[in-house]
Amino acid sequence: MEQQTPQPITESKIVGVPTPRIDGPLKTTGTAMYSSDHHFPGLVYAWPVTATIASGTISGIDSSSAEKMPGVLAIYTHKNIGPLYRTPPSAGFSMILDERRPPLEDEIVRYYGQYVAVAIAHTVEQARAAAEAVKVTYNKTPHDTSDKLLDTPTIAGKLKEVTKRGDTAAALAGAAYKHDAVYSTPTETHNPIELHASVAVYKDGKFTLYETSQAVVNHRDVMAAMLGVPPENVQVITRFLGSGFGGKLWPWPHALLAAASARNLNRPVKLVVGRSMMFQSVGHRPAIDQRVQLAADKSGKLLAIQHDYVNHTSMLDDYDEGCAESTGFMYSCPNVLATSGLVRRNVGTPTSMRGPGAVPGLYALESAMDELATKLNIDPVQLRLLNEPEKDESTGQPFSSRHLKECLTVGAEKFGWAKRNPAVGSMKDAEGRTLGWGVAACTWIATRTDAEVNVELRQDGAARVACGTQDIGTGTYTAVAQMVAHETGLPLQRIDVVIGDSGLPPGPISGGSWATASVVPAALQAAQQARKQLLSLSTKTDGCPFKDKSVDELEFVDGVVRIKGQSSGGVPFAEILKTANVRSVSGTGKSTGLFGDPNQKFSFHSFGAQFAEVTWQPEIARLHVSRVVTVIDAGRMINPRAARNQIEGAVVMGVGMAMLEATEYDHRSGGPINASLADYIVAVNADCPNIDVTFLDYPDFNLNPLGARGVGEIGLAGIAAAITNAVHHATGIRVRNLPVRIEDLLVAPGNKTS
Amino acid sequence: MAEHTDDASKPLTSLEKLSRRSFLSRAGAMGVATAAATVAPVVASAEPERPQPSGDPAAMPEIPGTIPITLKVNGETHQLRIDPRATVLDTLRETLHLTGTKKGCDHGQCGACTVHVDGRRANSCLLLAAMHQKAEITTIEGLGTPEKMHPMQAAFVEHDGYQCGYCTSGQIMSAVAMLHEPWGDADTDVKEALSGNICRCGAYPNIVAAVQSVRRHA
Repeated sequence: MEQQTPQPITESKIVGVPTPRIDGPLKTTGTAMYSSDHHFPGLVYAWPVTATIASGTISGIDSSSAEKMPGVLAIYTHKNIGPLYRTPPSAGFSMILDERRPPLEDEIVRYYGQYVAVAIAHTVEQARAAAEAVKVTYNKTPHDTSDKLLDTPTIAGKLKEVTKRGDTAAALAGAAYKHDAVYSTPTETHNPIELHASVAVYKDGKFTLYETSQAVVNHRDVMAAMLGVPPENVQVITRFLGSGFGGKLWPWPHALLAAASARNLNRPVKLVVGRSMMFQSVGHRPAIDQRVQLAADKSGKLLAIQHDYVNHTSMLDDYDEGCAESTGFMYSCPNVLATSGLVRRNVGTPTSMRGPGAVPGLYALESAMDELATKLNIDPVQLRLLNEPEKDESTGQPFSSRHLKECLTVGAEKFGWAKRNPAVGSMKDAEGRTLGWGVAACTWIATRTDAEVNVELRQDGAARVACGTQDIGTGTYTAVAQMVAHETGLPLQRIDVVIGDSGLPPGPISGGSWATASVVPAALQAAQQARKQLLSLSTKTDGCPFKDKSVDELEFVDGVVRIKGQSSGGVPFAEILKTANVRSVSGTGKSTGLFGDPNQKFSFHSFGAQFAEVTWQPEIARLHVSRVVTVIDAGRMINPRAARNQIEGAVVMGVGMAMLEATEYDHRSGGPINASLADYIVAVNADCPNIDVTFLDYPDFNLNPLGARGVGEIGLAGIAAAITNAVHHATGIRVRNLPVRIEDLLVAPGNKTS
Repeated sequence: MAEHTDDASKPLTSLEKLSRRSFLSRAGAMGVATAAATVAPVVASAEPERPQPSGDPAAMPEIPGTIPITLKVNGETHQLRIDPRATVLDTLRETLHLTGTKKGCDHGQCGACTVHVDGRRANSCLLLAAMHQKAEITTIEGLGTPEKMHPMQAAFVEHDGYQCGYCTSGQIMSAVAMLHEPWGDADTDVKEALSGNICRCGAYPNIVAAVQSVRRHA
């Protein structure tokens, strides 16, 4: 679809410049409109009833007393919710959802917290009280929420090969230095502070849905299919999103409850998912067991990597975490085998959580590398440098841009790694606390997906840029404005960014760290097309000084049309449009994605190095992550200010992953037992270490003309391993079951694993 | 966007149109009681109409089970009908349509709903509205506007003290309250004082920088 391959853009007055977010004044004054902030005349409230068993069937629902409560309008169950359909199979980035069963489809319950009814009332308090008054009885059957995964029956009956080269078994058998261990990560819950929410408006057969969505176009298509209406009868709007971390990528059942209720009652319905429900029915990172086996020669050269992982999924849907995503290309190694397996549990359907696959996968691989370094008595930075590949050995493709060695050496320098004494517990800080220093390498995919962008140059002197993508907090509003400002020369204040609406030209999902990279080519092309139209109009407009000039003689610089190279005599574009009585000129840019393209010439990935320091006070059993140095090779940063924030925030989430976060299932009921923000602990301000972020400046022009890749996820990759490696350095205890618990550090000397 | 003016002739960007406050100030309707209108749709396709007046109980259809109360918010007194179980948070958001105050947990665990009650910070999800009829409640909307931000709001913009912006109202209300609380000068004091406000995006370093910049100039 790309009509031309634009030249790399190396110079810019606005791209690459740290820029305050254009939406900042709205976010800081409470005026930015998030989905649940929308209100409409006659709006009523929905509150779901959730299953209190994890497996079985509904034997009866008695809603008679609930229906008589003040303000109650309806109680919907599987008997009266009305038609809701399943989706056809997904293709590419369309028609995706993880929990494919429509809510209230039948009487079967497969996980604790599954919606079994929904109450609608005039006030939110009435709806909640009514939901709590609905009496549901069940025929209970045995459930399984066990977190022992490896060596339990998989869905396929055997492990699936993910990547393979050489003869791993032979290499492992013959090697002098080996490592073999199992690493476990728990169910993690995204917990964006914005609760998932839907405000559904139904009028004349059409749905307008204010959703918490990281992908409004897909959301529209899925909702239309499940509601059984044409896509043009559904509009999905997400102007501001209180983040998602993957949890809001695809629609979840509550959105259908809200839309179906609005349809049935013919009035607007608001449904805000409660925090405890957020642990049940809007996805999570699954529990994962990973066995990693490494073999090396005496010099530290890797001879074999075997990586076998098993993750849990729900009873109906197959979610594969993809932990071996980077195993095949991270290091140079002749013999590599990775396998995956899925096991069914009575849990809600898992979904992508920030850095799916690579984040837990690299926790295992980079922990194993640290353990191997200890066995070899080689510095862990050195071990990684020794095994740097020349190319992507899993595909044979050259890397588009890989500077992992520089990440490691720059990070080591900034961190002061040369002063590290490798002996366990040997380093102290000024206050006498034991220090632990750990390192890990990291990587994350880089790619582009299809994107379409429209740019209008308007008579009021502003440029409007429209794209059906969304800003989930990463800074998309500002990045898109910067792209158009670069191409048009207009100041940011005169760029009008319109995103977050499925009615706009289809744009990328806000996931995979590729929204920015995907929008770049289409946005630049759209602005160029709009400029061409403007110059053409200038040559054809009576009263315009450029009438009858050739377009080739003109240029559009800083919002002014002028004769090429002449700084005087220019005319602001708004005046040309006024003279011509044309409201706007516009251009559309379309770019085709690279994702999944088998013919692509390069292996596109970002890389980085994470260095972590922990302080350990054994006398009071206090462990704290005090310092993190992170060096990121992710192409050019469109907005370095927002990019730095992304990496810092990912490090904070990494502290949570390593030290705090785990969703615990109560195996008696099958329900997540710590389903609140008091019991599922995430990092707060006091947990935040000093963070030093460095970006290597290697624009990746093979990916797009601005050389931008993406920074949403890579900052979380490797950080948990860097921290647990530091914990080992401080305490001698190797934690292979996240998060690190104080109990892990109290084990008797001589039994130093957990 | 950082330099907002009240010049009504300046074309609004779509982002500015997304700001409810921006619309209200341009329409000259500063009070919630008179907040009623239709915002021009951002996209030409159908965008449903906006809220009706909420502040005039006589004009509202009486919802069964609701009671009349008085609530003083941002210096204005509102006569309302609410469910007697309604929290201050839900009353602000669902009845007064002051949606700048956010719901993150409804259990006093995340801080997103932080407001000032008689000058002190409080989790509005833990307060019953009917029991706060004599209180002076201040919300993020009472602090400043996009056109005239409070110094703390401006500092959060300057220091990128947010990502998604959802916890930001609570962070700022906590930070402003902290200015009048007995804390020391160090960064660690800010980190401790604001640890009741979770930022899942993890913008903590920038939040500390923003708060410290205001404290140094206070």
